[in-house]
Amino acid sequence: MSDLTQVEIEQRDDVVVARLTGELDISVAESTGRKIAEAVPSSARGVVVDMSGLDFMDSSGVSMLFGLARRVGSHRQQLVVVAPTGRPVSRVLEIVEFGRAAPVREDVDAAVTAIATPQA
Amino acid sequence: MSDLPGLFDVRVKARSIAYLFAVGATLGLLTLAFPHADEIRDVPLIVLAGMAYAIAATLWALADRLRDWHIHAVLAAGTVIISLANYYAGPSTLYPILYTWTALYSFYFFPMREALAQMVFLAFAYAVVLAIQEADMVVVDWLLAVGTPAVAGILITRLLGGIQHHARELRESDERTRLVLDTAPDAFITLDRHGCITTWNAAAERMFGWTKEEAVGRTMRELILPPEYAERHDTRRLELLDSLGQLATETYEVELIRRDGRRFPGEATVSKVESGGEVFASGFITDTTERLRRQAEREALLREQAARAEAERVAEVVGGMQALVDAALAHRNLEGILRDLVAQVRGVLAADAATIYLADDGGRLSVGASSPAGQAVGEEFAIWVAESREAMLAQSDALIGVPLLAEDEVTAVLVAGAEPPREFGGEALTLLRLAAERVGLAIAHARVYEREHRIAETLQRSLLPDRLPDLPGLEVAARYLPAAAEAEVGGDWYDVIPIAGGAVGLVMGDVAGKGLAGASMVGRLRSALRAYALEGHDGGRVVERLNRLLWTEAEESQMATMLYLIVDPAASTVRWVNAGHPPPLVMSRGEARFLEGQASVPLGVLPFPTYEEVAARLEPGDALLLYTDGLVERPGEHLDHGLELLTAAVRGAPDNPQGLLDHLLATLVPARGAADDVALLTLFNLPVPEEFSAEFPAEPESLAPIRSMLRRWLAHAGADDLEIAEITTACGEAATNAIEHAGTMNGARFEVWGQREGGEIHIAVHDHGSWRREREDDHGRGLDLMRTLMDTVSVDPGEQGTTVSLRRRLGRRGGAA
Repeated sequence: MSDLTQVEIEQRDDVVVARLTGELDISVAESTGRKIAEAVPSSARGVVVDMSGLDFMDSSGVSMLFGLARRVGSHRQQLVVVAPTGRPVSRVLEIVEFGRAAPVREDVDAAVTAIATPQA
Repeated sequence: MSDLPGLFDVRVKARSIAYLFAVGATLGLLTLAFPHADEIRDVPLIVLAGMAYAIAATLWALADRLRDWHIHAVLAAGTVIISLANYYAGPSTLYPILYTWTALYSFYFFPMREALAQMVFLAFAYAVVLAIQEADMVVVDWLLAVGTPAVAGILITRLLGGIQHHARELRESDERTRLVLDTAPDAFITLDRHGCITTWNAAAERMFGWTKEEAVGRTMRELILPPEYAERHDTRRLELLDSLGQLATETYEVELIRRDGRRFPGEATVSKVESGGEVFASGFITDTTERLRRQAEREALLREQAARAEAERVAEVVGGMQALVDAALAHRNLEGILRDLVAQVRGVLAADAATIYLADDGGRLSVGASSPAGQAVGEEFAIWVAESREAMLAQSDALIGVPLLAEDEVTAVLVAGAEPPREFGGEALTLLRLAAERVGLAIAHARVYEREHRIAETLQRSLLPDRLPDLPGLEVAARYLPAAAEAEVGGDWYDVIPIAGGAVGLVMGDVAGKGLAGASMVGRLRSALRAYALEGHDGGRVVERLNRLLWTEAEESQMATMLYLIVDPAASTVRWVNAGHPPPLVMSRGEARFLEGQASVPLGVLPFPTYEEVAARLEPGDALLLYTDGLVERPGEHLDHGLELLTAAVRGAPDNPQGLLDHLLATLVPARGAADDVALLTLFNLPVPEEFSAEFPAEPESLAPIRSMLRRWLAHAGADDLEIAEITTACGEAATNAIEHAGTMNGARFEVWGQREGGEIHIAVHDHGSWRREREDDHGRGLDLMRTLMDTVSVDPGEQGTTVSLRRRLGRRGGAA
């Protein structure tokens, strides 16, 4: 079902915010990752993937995030994931220790700020 | 004494005696005229002769009315006169002569016994005379004097016995004749030349009220003829009697009078009869009162029948015309109208076949309907009728055809045919002409309706879901029943929209505009609603947006009612927004209740109304029913009544979606079809079993339904939200593996099985592929997730496929972190 996950793209200065809603599983993981990647111009400093509106994500979603992290990394861009604690998505991210690949924040503002203030 | 045995008519007897008296008196006077002895006294004898003459004259005059006893009395009186005459004339030979004559007369005219009595009386009188006049006469001389005439009378009579015998035969024959005549139903009367009645039978007595005794000897004009007929009667009788030929008969109608003065019509058959040299008239008279009455009745009846036949004929023409018009106006589809019409035409015209040809825009004719079905009649004739634009007959009146016009165009031609020798007449032509105008219009209208109806229905059907989605744990069914053909297609629509998270949106709406405009608005609302719903908007906002769409974009006064329900089977809830639509029905544990509350205005009424969601429980085993007003609204009835009928029908319905809807349509929709469109949508929140087993296609699209099913089942099994999320994630990983194992195999499937064992959840996913080690990262992550989220995970890669078994005890807080 192609509309299982919806992607809304928002531009905040030179940061792209991709807001995901719905559920993310293997049926949509690849296309969702591609949509986000295509929405990020090379001029952007980074991308925030907002998963606070996502009701479900499995390991295919995690793979998509890892892939996305590699891709933006190769463009010298940053990836920050928004996943509020206690939600199913953050639980999955914790288990697979996604924090090692990219920072996870509680909300979009924190994420955008994280990109705006480049880490060492 | 009966007259029947009488040998002769009493008049004959009376007149004979009158002759006898006259002759006797004349003889006596002649005796006086000649020189005679002194002892013969003149004066008494002249007086006696005068008396005899008087009696004779009286007899003659009254001959017609005398009876036998009168004759006997006269004979006795005659004897007395003779005796006295003898006394005054002194001993003479006169007495024996008269005595002998009288004896002869008696024996001849009367039966033996009466004649003997007469003779005894005469002999006694003679003996008395002799005793007075011849006192010294010896007894022997007496006896001789008295006996001799008597014996002579008997002897002479015996000599005349042949005559007597013949007369008796005649008398007997006459008796039979009289019997016949008297038992005859008709009056039989004979008249002599003078018009005196000589025969008067029993029927005549009954008919006229005069007895035979009273009638015989009198004339018809005295008794039974009205004065105005009298003259004619006499003329006729004389003409008849004077006519040549032995037997002349004529019959004529007369008016007659009864004894009581009442007149009545009769028919007389009069014949001239000659018998024994005598000519007389005989007539049979029939009382024709009854016959005339019957005849009048029959004539009246015939007139009435004729009048009724005429009235029926007129009524038939009018009724026939009405039947044709009714057939055309009966609101059904064109096909129905035409089929009915040809059947009616056949019936009304008593035709053997009837066909209606429809003209297309180019004027070409094609068969619209035939009766008997499939047997078109008079195709070439129909073309001719269409060209001439006139009702007409053809083929020796065996074909009749009439063009049906609408707006001066021939829209159809109606043709009927009869098997020769039967044929149609002017009436049939009149009838068809009368009916044609209105029938033509009805058909033209029906064709326009039909065309628009068909387009709109096609369009609307295209807007309804072809098939409803498979929803785990839920079962949905829908029905859409267009209104009977004369109504325009309504703007009813429904939809079932799966929403992320296993929820499902149910839509039931009714756009007020019908026909093409309504159908196109349905299309816009439907796609808009799908879009808004999938965007994850709250139900109230979705409906508010639809209202905005309708308010800004629809034509003036277009509005819609609608229901939008979001069913979340995992949470066992239903949330709904009602925009002026009949309330949805929820069926729970055998009870049906409406989901009331927060019903707002229909869409398109206000620019900015607020629509709020209302929530209610929808437990496993409960069901929802959405419908349009076509199901519950009946003309002239309050909506509440329709809603009551609906709840009653729901209570008696089968406990499955298809059965429920079929039952409702059968119970609530009239057999002739609904007046308005009816749309029905039901959702059954299936009961959650302790244990489940389901099979899915090995494709990524199966994952979302599996999750929906699991969430629902887990909720029912007592898992909290976090547990549901984690177990669902773990199982999703197992299912994803199963799908990957199937690879690109077509039609591969895998099973998911679940069971709650006390406080522990046990789920197994079994596929038919082989465990693969590729994409180690992903699998590793998947396995990690499963192992972390569940208590135990075991992978069993067997010959028949791989089984992943997952277990987790509920109520385990925290989990591995």
